[in-house]
Amino acid sequence: MKIVVIGAGEIGFHTAKILSQEKHDIIVVDHSAAQLERVNDALDVMTVQGIGSRLTTLRRAQVETADVVIAVTSSDDANFAACVFSHKMGAKRKFMRTNDADFFEDAGVNPQDFGIDMAVSPERLAAKEIVRLIRRTAATDIVEFAEGRIQLIGIKLDQASPLINRKLRDVLKDYSEVPFRAVAISRGLRTIIPTADDVFRKGDQVFVISKTEMVPEMLKVSGKESVKIEDVMILGGTAIGQQVAADLEDEVSVKLIESSKETSSKLADVLKKTMVIRGEGKDLDLLATEGIMDMDAYVAVTRDEEDNIISCLMAKHLGVKKAIAHVEKTDYIPLANTIGIDALVNKKLSAATEILKLVRKGEILSIATLHGVDAEMIEMIANHKSAVTKKPVRDLKFPEGGIIGCVIRNEEVIIPVGDTRILSEDRVVVLTLPRSIHEVEKFFH
Amino acid sequence: MRFRSVLSVLGFILVVVGILMSLVLPVSLYYGGSDAYALLLSALLMIVVGLLVWFFNKKQSKELGVREGFTIVGLGWVVASLFGCLPFVLSGAIPDFTDAYFETISGFTTTGATILTDIEVLPHGLLFWRSLTQWIGGLGIILLSIAILPALGVGGMQLFQAEVPGISVEKLTPRIIQTARILWMVYVLLTVVQMVLLTAGGMTLFDATCHSFTTVSTGGFSTKNASIAHYQSAYIEQVIIVFMFLAGTSFALHYRALRGELRGYSRDDEFTFYAILVVLASLIIFLGIPIESGESLGKTVQAAVFQTVSIITTTGFVTADYELWYPAAQWILLMLMFAGACTGSTAGGIKLVRILVLLKNAVNQLKMLIHPRAILPVRHNGKSLEQEIIVDVLTYFVLFVLIFVVSTLVMTTLGMDIVSSAGAVAASLGNIGPGLGSVGAVDNYAHVPLIGKWVLMFCMLTGRLEIFTIIVLFTPTFWKR
Repeated sequence: MKIVVIGAGEIGFHTAKILSQEKHDIIVVDHSAAQLERVNDALDVMTVQGIGSRLTTLRRAQVETADVVIAVTSSDDANFAACVFSHKMGAKRKFMRTNDADFFEDAGVNPQDFGIDMAVSPERLAAKEIVRLIRRTAATDIVEFAEGRIQLIGIKLDQASPLINRKLRDVLKDYSEVPFRAVAISRGLRTIIPTADDVFRKGDQVFVISKTEMVPEMLKVSGKESVKIEDVMILGGTAIGQQVAADLEDEVSVKLIESSKETSSKLADVLKKTMVIRGEGKDLDLLATEGIMDMDAYVAVTRDEEDNIISCLMAKHLGVKKAIAHVEKTDYIPLANTIGIDALVNKKLSAATEILKLVRKGEILSIATLHGVDAEMIEMIANHKSAVTKKPVRDLKFPEGGIIGCVIRNEEVIIPVGDTRILSEDRVVVLTLPRSIHEVEKFFH
Repeated sequence: MRFRSVLSVLGFILVVVGILMSLVLPVSLYYGGSDAYALLLSALLMIVVGLLVWFFNKKQSKELGVREGFTIVGLGWVVASLFGCLPFVLSGAIPDFTDAYFETISGFTTTGATILTDIEVLPHGLLFWRSLTQWIGGLGIILLSIAILPALGVGGMQLFQAEVPGISVEKLTPRIIQTARILWMVYVLLTVVQMVLLTAGGMTLFDATCHSFTTVSTGGFSTKNASIAHYQSAYIEQVIIVFMFLAGTSFALHYRALRGELRGYSRDDEFTFYAILVVLASLIIFLGIPIESGESLGKTVQAAVFQTVSIITTTGFVTADYELWYPAAQWILLMLMFAGACTGSTAGGIKLVRILVLLKNAVNQLKMLIHPRAILPVRHNGKSLEQEIIVDVLTYFVLFVLIFVVSTLVMTTLGMDIVSSAGAVAASLGNIGPGLGSVGAVDNYAHVPLIGKWVLMFCMLTGRLEIFTIIVLFTPTFWKR
């Protein structure tokens, strides 16, 4: 596919990177030569320098013949203009980023009215992700699919985990009553697609696919207890903070700390059940008074990423079970494991993931990109000619960068074992490293 | 430095060049095959060694950094030439290793300097291989590998920049592999058209093929001792003039023209400069040809144009002994050796875009003396260039001149006269071939002392790979962790 990415910031860069690794033809547009140089040095894509909302620039970027246009500059107006122009010029699908989540809603219109397939709000997506993580405290990552019947969870193996130093083969044998599939291990900076002979180590972040009802069991196996969440504290009344509070306030007790007077009054007005507190996040006395020790989860989403990290570390130190911080730099995300914060969330990465999902729709059904891990979840449908249906899973010679996570047959969910056979019409969830996507696809042709 | 990643790509390059060499076998066998054994053995050796190196390192990551890129390109050319000279040595045609290596490097770098005193005694297979090395080297050994090896990705861009001439390399398509393929497609097209035209002019198919190979690559190897003068055909000379000129033009412009954008040529500053320069230089050289040579006016004009185009595109074919011309004409030719033709072509030399930038910058600097606060951008194709590019061009120029000065010093130390030394170094550094003095139009490089040959080989390689790629390998910073 020919894909034009407008805006070479974090979202644009990340989207272009993944899509170019999948061998799509990518053209990146940005007005800054310095940004484009970074793109040119790191990615095999074409770059066009110019203002992305100008027709002349779009023409140079060959938008007329583009299959997809992704407008992800930091300006909503520029993104909107770029998408509308692209629509007129004949680009097939258009996606835009909106910083103001109410860009369209305020006016009571839909993006589709302007020929824009979808508007993506990074803040909203980050908030959703935080909420998912809070609901499943023991997991570092959590992705639902197959209408919520299956979950992919990330589990960090700490000292107490009974899995440490054991082979995957033996673990599977011992816990055969809890069907699960270990699909990836993040160790240091590497992502490993495990085979039966791989051994779990302390500090590994293991990604496991399991039926949703078996997830608590699964967590128990790994030495984690699922905690019931009752009290949540949010630091920072940003768009993300507000959204998280709004999503959670009906189920749990939420406290939100915001330093600005105006913002805090506004939030207190909008959030009916949340207790809004005006004060500094660095003020330990305040946090203590508000009972940070009794919190089940702590979310730091101020604009200052270093503040977020430090206050999360503080919260962990004081015994909060789950601390989640929002960071601006994607480079920090792999550090979460090392520094002992349960999860680092980045709104731009969340947005990029969502855009990738949208772009791939209809081609391959992608489900998610995992934070800090170089792997993708995709969903494939087998047909009667597919190589994948010809042999039991064990004998498939599946590419080493890919692994079959689960099989959805009609309404039934199957966690595959060695002698499982995939049938025609099965929906198969595969986890794969980006470089192996094409090899994996061949098994389903 | 990830040496094993470097090895894996090097292995692949060897296999590619080895396969190309094996294509010479049928030609050799058709003409009696006295050199078939040497070619077969060399090609097999190349493919087997390449496959082994590739096989044992193929699982390495293809994510190549800047260092790996430079190392692959630098070593790639050295190693390919090492294997490429085997047929000459094994067949006994050029028994001396230094001479054989010189001939091969001169081939791959499209220099066209030869140590052979009698070219025509070489068997046809070797003659064909000699021309083929220029054709492979014209667009680049690495570019060919990029076009074939799909997994290079970003690494490909690193290699591309290290090998393709010019100040800023232009991607024609989103993916590097497509750009590489397009360039090769244009290249093959030019070659085939020229082959047809030369055959129509009475050349044998063998000669037409060999000469097309060495024209579009701006190499300049001929299968005849007297070069193009051998044919004494105005038509053949005209065809070659046109194709040398086209080979000295940016291939990106040709590609656009093939897609219907003919105005791309006239809109390009560098091409305009190139065209004007060819006309002006031809005129001066025409005036510099002594009248007593007794040729008709038309023939003299053609000789002037042929030599101008041959030298500015760094091809190095000759139709006349330009050393009999007035000194001014010879001086212009020497200057053209330095200048070279356009970015993104197969020509060598400094490249006209750099000369343009240098001149425009000099003019600006002079204006700045009068208007110290003026902001005067250096423009190219209507766009102002960033300061970094100008510094890059200046650095390039300084290094080029420095290498020229030092190498010429070494040559004179070895006992060669000044004109021959300077001519030989200029002709090697600019990848032209024939120089001045004892290495002039009708001479060869056989008499150059051993050390001198190695110095010239270094010059050819450095010149072909745009100075930086080779020089950076010799800097301590490059090897520091």
